Amino acid sequence: MATSSPDFLAILRRLAEHKIDFIVVGGVCAALQGAPVATFDLDLVHSRKPANIDRLLAALETLDAHYREPVARWIKPTKSHLASSGHQLLMTSFGPLDLLGTIGAARDYESLLSDTTEMEIDRALKVRLLGLAALIRIKEETGGEKDVAILPTLRRTLEEKSKP
Amino acid sequence: MQHWVIQNDGSGAHEADEPCSQEARPTHSPDGVDLTLIRWMLSLTPLERLEVLQATIRSIMQLRGDIKS
Repeated sequence: MATSSPDFLAILRRLAEHKIDFIVVGGVCAALQGAPVATFDLDLVHSRKPANIDRLLAALETLDAHYREPVARWIKPTKSHLASSGHQLLMTSFGPLDLLGTIGAARDYESLLSDTTEMEIDRALKVRLLGLAALIRIKEETGGEKDVAILPTLRRTLEEKSKP
Repeated sequence: MQHWVIQNDGSGAHEADEPCSQEARPTHSPDGVDLTLIRWMLSLTPLERLEVLQATIRSIMQLRGDIKS
């Protein structure tokens, strides 16, 4: 396991360098849009088109990506793992990275695209984010305790963003 | 004229002794969310927001003893 704090920016840069199609969701997505939330992992929904999976595998190789569990074994994600709709809970040299085939009610990369916006982090990095309203809807659909707990903060952030 | 401020503990408005220099805005939403933190985050650039998030996580991990200062 990594013993330093996560560097989400480094992971995003590496994925962008490899021209990976992905959408940032979860806590990092919320924080980038102004929500005062903390998270220990970077959640992404990736395109499961074969060419994108090939590029993603190459990028993950440079990040020393492997499954967080079992701790005693170093298991690397494969093409079939990344092609599935499941959640790949990985550790990388820059911290935890969750690659999600689908989120909420089976929403995949393509079906989420219309609810995304592109955000320029700096001159060298643009990332695609799930919009805050869509993130709220999906957390409402999911309805897990962790998702419900964060909803008031997300809703109030959306309200504050909407104010002139 | 009366001037009203919202207490930081979210317990509601009270009459202030001194006039407010600017229009008072609520510090908390009715459901208890700290709006001052949201407004502060929204005042930052995306890169700064990411840096705040990473610094927060680093602080938590240092406090837990997961990493050294």
